[in-house]
Amino acid sequence: MLASKSLIDWEFSFGPAKSPDDGTTIARPRTVNCPSVTIAPVFTMSQKPSVEEIETYAQGIVDAIRQPLLTLDSTLRIRSANRAFYQVFQFSSEETENRLFYELGNGQWDIAGLRTLLEDIILTGSSFNDFELEQTFPAVGSRVMLLNARKLQTDPHSERLLLAIEDVTQQRRAEADLKAIQEYAQNIVDSVREPLLILDTTLHVQSANCAFYQTFQVSREETEHRLIFELGNGQWDIPVLRALLANEKTVSKSFAFSDFQVEHNFPAIGRRVILLNTRKLQAGQHEGLLVLTMEDVTERRRAEEEVVVAKEAAETANKTKSLFLANMSHELRTPLNAILGYSEMLQEEAVERKLAGEFGADLEKINEAVKHLLTLINDILDFSKIEAGKMDLYLEDFDLIQMMDDVASTIRPMVEKTANTLHLQRAPDLGTIHADQLKVRQALLNLLSNAVKFTHQGDITFEANRESLNGREWIVFRVTDTGIGLGPEQIVKLFRNYSQANASTTRNFGGTGLGLVLTRRYCQMMGGDVTVRSVFGQGSVFTIKLPAIVREAKSQTAAEGAEAVMASNRDSLDGYTALRVVSLPEREEKRATYP
Amino acid sequence: LNTFPKAMPKILLVEDNAMNRDMLSRRLERKGYQVVLAPDGQSGLEMTRAQAPDLILMDMGLPDLDGWEVTRRLKADPATRHVPVIALTAHATSSDREEALEAGCDDFDTKPIDLPHLLAKIEALLSAGAMASTVKTAR
Repeated sequence: MLASKSLIDWEFSFGPAKSPDDGTTIARPRTVNCPSVTIAPVFTMSQKPSVEEIETYAQGIVDAIRQPLLTLDSTLRIRSANRAFYQVFQFSSEETENRLFYELGNGQWDIAGLRTLLEDIILTGSSFNDFELEQTFPAVGSRVMLLNARKLQTDPHSERLLLAIEDVTQQRRAEADLKAIQEYAQNIVDSVREPLLILDTTLHVQSANCAFYQTFQVSREETEHRLIFELGNGQWDIPVLRALLANEKTVSKSFAFSDFQVEHNFPAIGRRVILLNTRKLQAGQHEGLLVLTMEDVTERRRAEEEVVVAKEAAETANKTKSLFLANMSHELRTPLNAILGYSEMLQEEAVERKLAGEFGADLEKINEAVKHLLTLINDILDFSKIEAGKMDLYLEDFDLIQMMDDVASTIRPMVEKTANTLHLQRAPDLGTIHADQLKVRQALLNLLSNAVKFTHQGDITFEANRESLNGREWIVFRVTDTGIGLGPEQIVKLFRNYSQANASTTRNFGGTGLGLVLTRRYCQMMGGDVTVRSVFGQGSVFTIKLPAIVREAKSQTAAEGAEAVMASNRDSLDGYTALRVVSLPEREEKRATYP
Repeated sequence: LNTFPKAMPKILLVEDNAMNRDMLSRRLERKGYQVVLAPDGQSGLEMTRAQAPDLILMDMGLPDLDGWEVTRRLKADPATRHVPVIALTAHATSSDREEALEAGCDDFDTKPIDLPHLLAKIEALLSAGAMASTVKTAR
C-alpha cells in the first residue's frame, strides 16, 4: 500500500508521533482512521521538499487508503475526497468537491447528529472516534459505518476536518449472527428438560440450565464456578462419578460416556436413578468444555421392574393353568377308560349271549358318548400341553399311502353313518414323509371328521400330492367336502381357540372348538400350515402343507413355515376359490382375502 | 420239553387303578389268556420273578416305582429280560413312546385300550417269543 519513495521513508509507530531528529517536520502527524496509529513522514535528505511535493505525497497516501476519507473545511464544504470514497459511494469528484457535506448526493449525508458533531469539532478542535452510524446509502444500501473525525492543525490547511469512514456492516452482522446463535444455544439448553451442567477442564461449573436449578433446588450463585463435587453440600460427590471424571481421558478430545447409571440419594429429591451422559464441546473457543446431562430414570426403571414382575406372574399363572388342565384331563381319563372298557365288554357279552337286540343300541350309545368325551379331553390336554410348551416333535420316516389308508379306515365308520362317500386319491410318487406321525394323523383326522360332521349324503375327497416349491419338497393334503361350507365371518373365526362357526354348532355337531386350532398348531410345529377355502352352502377345501422333510422345531420357526405355505398358495388357486385364509403363527390374527 | 406255544399264555398286568385292572383282566381272560395282576411297580417286579409270565402289560404312570423304572430293572435282569413288555400310557405323546422304547419296552399302546389293536400286538410278541424259544430248543 505504501510504496517506498526516493525522498521519503515512512515510519509506522503506535502512540503519539515523534518529530524527526533533524526537526524538519513539515506535515504534522495525521490521525488516520485508527486513532492509535500514526503515520509520519520522515525526511532523510538534507534538501527541503516543496509544498507541492508534500501535498502530492499526502494525496498519494490518502488515495492508497482503502477506507473512504473526506476533507472538509470549516463550513463543512468538501475540499477533497480519496479514491476509496468515490469508489464506495459512486460519486465523481465534480459531484463532490466544493459541495456542502450534508448536501452531498441529494443530502444522503444529512444526518442530524453527525452534522452537530462535525460542527462541534470545528468550534472546539475536539475529535470523535468510532461514531457508529447506520444509514441507507443509494449506492451501497444499508450500511453500518464507523466515523472518525479530526481537525487538522497544519497551518496552510487550517480549519480543515478529516473524516474517515469505516464500513463495519459485515462485522456487525457477524456479531449479530453470533449473538443470535449464542441465544439460540442458550434457549435450547434452557428448554432441555434434563438437568445439564457445562464443566470446564478443571470440573468447575461454567453454566447450568434451568432444569438443573429447578430439579436440584439450587441457585445460579451456588452453582457457577464451583467444583462439581462441592455443589449443594457435596451431593454430587459420588465416588463413581468422581472416578469417571477424574479419569485422565477427561482432558482428551474424545472423552464421552453414555447412559452411565448412577443411583444416589440426593438431599433435594431423594434416592434417584440417574443416567449421565457427557460430550466434549470441541467448537472454537469452547474447546475443553464438558456437557454433562442428567436424566432421571427412576420412574422408568420402577415401571420396567413392575412390567417384568407382572409378566413373570402372568407366565407363571398361565403355566399353572396349563399344568392344572393337563393334570385334570389325566384324572378325568382314568374313570373314562373304565367306562369305555366296561361298555365294550358288555357289548361283546351281549353279542355272545344273543342279547344284542335288547341292549346293543343302548350300549352303543354309551360307548359313543364316552369316546366323544375322551376326544374332548384329549384335545384340551393337547392344547394345554402346547400352551405350556411341553409338546415335542417325534420325527420319523413313514409311508404316506399306508398312513392315509389307516386314517381312512379310522374315519370310514363315521363316513358310512352319515351316508357320505369317501374318495381316496393318492399320487403314485407320494413316497414317505419325515414328520411326527401321530400329529400328521391327528391333523388329518381332525379335518376328515370335520368334513364328515358338516356333510350329509355328500362326497368327501381325501387326497395327497408331492409338490416342489422354492427348492423344497412339500406334501400337500387336501380334504374336500360338499357340505354346508363356511361364510367369510366363520372362516375368520375358524382357527381361534374355542371358537366354532357359530354357537349352535357346538350343540348340533359337538366338539371343543379346539380341533382346528390343534391342527394348525401341529402343522406349524412341523414347519407347515393349514388353509381353508370355502363357499357357504357348497362345501369346503382344507389344505395341509408340510415339508417332506420336517426339521427339528427349533431350526424352522412356525413363521417361516407359514410364509413358505403362503407363497405356495399364491399359485395353486383353482376355480373353487372363494376365500382364502392364511393363518399367521404366534398371533391369533387371520387375514382374509376376497378375490 | 414242550416245544409248542402254551395253550393259555400268561399275561402279567401291572396297573394301579383297580377298575381298569379288573376291566382289562376280564376282557383278556375272555379272549383266552391267563392273567395275573400287580397293583404297583414293586409287586410287578416280584410277580415277574414268581409267576414267569409270557408277556407283561405295563402301565407307565404308576405311583412310586413307575413303569419305566420297573421295565429298566426287568430288562437289566438276565432272569427276566426275555419277557416282552408292552407299555400302556395314557394318551400317548411322541415323547412318551420314545421314553417307553428307550426304557426297553418291546411295544407300546395307548389308553383307552382298543382291544383288537392290543390283542394284535400281544399275539405278535408272543409268537415271536415262541419262535425264538423253538429255535433255542431245537439247538
